[in-house]
Amino acid sequence: MSLPEFRHIGRHLPRKEDYRLLTGQGRFVDDIDMPGALHACFVRSSHAHARIVAINADAAREMPGVVAVFTGQDLAQWTTRQRMAPPIAGLQPMEMDTLPIDKVRFQGDPVACVLATDRYLAEDAAEQVLVNYDVLPAVSTMWQALAPEAPRVDDSLSSNLLSHQHADHGDVAARKREAHRVIESTFSQHRQTHLPIETRGCIAVWDDGRQHLTFHVGTQVPHPYRTTLASRLRLSESQVSVISPDVGGGFGQKIALYREELTVAALARHLKRPVRWREDRLENLLASSQAREDFCRTRAAVSADGRLLGLELDIVEDFGAYSFYPGNYLARVVAMILTGPYKVQDYSYDVKVVLSNKVGNGPMRAPMAITSWVMEGTMDAIARELQLDPVAVRRLNMLQPQDFPYTMATGEVLADITPRETLEGALAAIDYAHFRQRQQQARAQGVYLGLGICTVVESTTYGSRFYKAAGIAGSGHEAAWLRIEPSGAVNASVGLGATGQGYETSLAHAVAEGLGILPQQVHLHIGHTDIAPYGMGSRGARGGTAGGGTLYLCAQEAQVKVLAIAAGLLGLGDGAALRLRDGSVEKMSDGIWTATGLGLADVARTAYMDPLALPAGLAPGLEFHKTYEPPPMTYSNSTHVCEVEVQVATGAIRFARYVVAEDCGTVLSPVVVEGQQHGAIAMGLSGALFEQVQYDAAGQNLSGTLADYLVATACELPHFELIAMHTPNRATPAGIKGMAEGGVMGAIGALTNAVNDALAPFDVVADRQPLTPMYLRDLLRDKTDFINKA
Amino acid sequence: MSHVEKRAITLTVNGENHELWVEPRKLLADALREDCRLTGTHVGCEHGVCGACTVLVDGKPVRACLTYAIQMEGHEVSTIESVASNGVLSPLQQALHEAHGLQCGFCTPGIVMTFEAFLKINPAPSEEEIRDVLSGNLCRCTGYQNIVKAVQLAAVQMRGNADHVAA
Repeated sequence: MSLPEFRHIGRHLPRKEDYRLLTGQGRFVDDIDMPGALHACFVRSSHAHARIVAINADAAREMPGVVAVFTGQDLAQWTTRQRMAPPIAGLQPMEMDTLPIDKVRFQGDPVACVLATDRYLAEDAAEQVLVNYDVLPAVSTMWQALAPEAPRVDDSLSSNLLSHQHADHGDVAARKREAHRVIESTFSQHRQTHLPIETRGCIAVWDDGRQHLTFHVGTQVPHPYRTTLASRLRLSESQVSVISPDVGGGFGQKIALYREELTVAALARHLKRPVRWREDRLENLLASSQAREDFCRTRAAVSADGRLLGLELDIVEDFGAYSFYPGNYLARVVAMILTGPYKVQDYSYDVKVVLSNKVGNGPMRAPMAITSWVMEGTMDAIARELQLDPVAVRRLNMLQPQDFPYTMATGEVLADITPRETLEGALAAIDYAHFRQRQQQARAQGVYLGLGICTVVESTTYGSRFYKAAGIAGSGHEAAWLRIEPSGAVNASVGLGATGQGYETSLAHAVAEGLGILPQQVHLHIGHTDIAPYGMGSRGARGGTAGGGTLYLCAQEAQVKVLAIAAGLLGLGDGAALRLRDGSVEKMSDGIWTATGLGLADVARTAYMDPLALPAGLAPGLEFHKTYEPPPMTYSNSTHVCEVEVQVATGAIRFARYVVAEDCGTVLSPVVVEGQQHGAIAMGLSGALFEQVQYDAAGQNLSGTLADYLVATACELPHFELIAMHTPNRATPAGIKGMAEGGVMGAIGALTNAVNDALAPFDVVADRQPLTPMYLRDLLRDKTDFINKA
Repeated sequence: MSHVEKRAITLTVNGENHELWVEPRKLLADALREDCRLTGTHVGCEHGVCGACTVLVDGKPVRACLTYAIQMEGHEVSTIESVASNGVLSPLQQALHEAHGLQCGFCTPGIVMTFEAFLKINPAPSEEEIRDVLSGNLCRCTGYQNIVKAVQLAAVQMRGNADHVAA
């Protein structure tokens, strides 16, 4: 199916955001001048798990520039506790103080807040706050968390098992009995963190006369954030404005209301003075949010020819110490969409989410990142065990075009996706047939090449019906407004929160298409809760379909009214024979569109300044508002194919090629989509190769600098070859599907599968990440002797 | 650390002298941002790894988070605010715009300063050389590919300009 024809959607347009960012005139939170603001610095726990016996801030209070020091007891007077208790079967409710009062639960947990006239002085004083701890044994691994005698991370819960869900679809036990083999595979993903280059930070300004809080913070979700902030300060939403300026990356880290931010807001109100906070990188690595640490096991019941008859999945996720999100929120999605591009109806899953003495988890770009590695790693395991070609196993099991719409075993419906097409597209691009020959020849020379395949079915958009059906708290609708001003200038807004995605450009395409003007004429106003409509913000690859889709529909409605007014001005009965094109009203006559001489500005002037000239029944002004509920889920798909060379003597991995064939539906802005693909693949590869939050057995974080927490630089990443194979989603406005997380999913699977393909002659399988040289050498030790002897 | 006496220093930034009253421990990055109100220099790690705070000192790239403001007396500091002239982007900035070499833009000023200096030394770099120099700047959004492309574009553009001037 081909994409619909658009005039503006999908056209090349360099970004509108760039000028200010390139010239140093971007405005990030810490760039905002706030005269008289106090600087907050948090005193953080040096222990992973300890009772707070006493806090002595006397010396700190005497230090130069120090205005006050506050603790959890103080904050409890001015804020409410967080209660995370959505009605979800198998989920234990959890509560959290604004700052810990009785005990700390991870190294870096904030126990006091120093306010001083200068950030340097605040940091000096924080060092002088003495906290007396009674140290408790720490839970430092997910397996320890599950042990019956484990220390309890949250004393109010019956165990560390925060969330447990199990589902059986079909009859997996029967399929296992009938199977030729049951092939078990395991996958361990390590703990990582989002690492936006801009750390967290905020400025709170309390206007005591108006009883109003203005809160500047880089957030992906301005309105839900305001709802939570207001509620926890016992204020109404009318009393809080959240303003999110330019944001230096989020990747999921800037969604939750953090305790530090709530503290800053509460103290600004208490002291009636502006308060600002910017965390340093150490705090970001020790105490912001983390992600990914999970273990998966699959048991695939297969026939002798490699057909997947039934599948079992077990997941255990290490969720850290606190519930900033419901415990089932991340891992449940992995279980629900695991089978992705493959045909299987007998499927069961068991999802356990445990608490540990680590930083609490948050969704990180592709919260379900492990999904495709698990499924495609399972496919590779089937091929390996049955000595089949991994491509043949995929072709045998993959859904065919005629299978769609396909209801997965979990009830999720896949429609308008093309996994088989992207698989074949990517294999052709990398010349799979000849690769196997090259691989054989290279092995004979002692060179170990590997090719990894990972087909991704990426869940995007997440409509309200998905949230409800999956038992995950939240809503997936979106809201937009559009105003054509008296001059014809077009302003628009939507409830997303930009963190670098280029919305001012990509969403301008959607508005321009829907209304009939040029994208250059559209001005987006987002990130301010008093200006933008209440939307659900940016998360889960929803910006395109939910945000762009709502704006597109809103703009279409605006065009209808513009044309109705134009019809009146032209003496026509209605606007049926009219269209707005690049801002000019055109009329169809004798099969040809011709200019009427009227433009958007003429219509706008009439609507505002001469409303009595409007056709009967039309109200003055050109203001439009729209809310839109997207489908329960939309899906994009892609196939990543990666060729590597593994140096078996050192464990080093070198990329030869990296190819992605992707179908992410109608593309609003090609530059923006390409950038999102690059960024997602890079984050996936960087995570699979290098990044690791490391805790020791006592729960001490060993990765507190960027020299310890390694991120891929330009030297370690390959050149990405992208193949566009887009087809529209027929259920969404303009055929948009959403994207931006699948790149992570594909990258970690394709890379790991490639490494395992390279190492196949040694009969080893890398089943955990990161794929460091040390880990690969551990696997190969004693296996490569024959090379040395030869 | 105990309180340290502030000192008067003169910081020359983008050709302009700033008389500052700062502690000796005040970082150049903080002095630029807080005292000179030049907030285009961003601070991403404060320990010299991410490169976001890169500025030029006497024309050479320097981490402003590993440098004290007081050390800069007698030196010329150039920041991102000096790169475009009269609102016209430099060839490198223009190339980053055209090649979509930035997303959130937080690391961008450090990358611009790094390559404004590098392209003067090496006007025709290979992709490998560009990636090697770029490895001192972390970018979490772009995967670096379009930054590399932009530097290549800028190099071609600047060589063309130079030829044009020479002719």
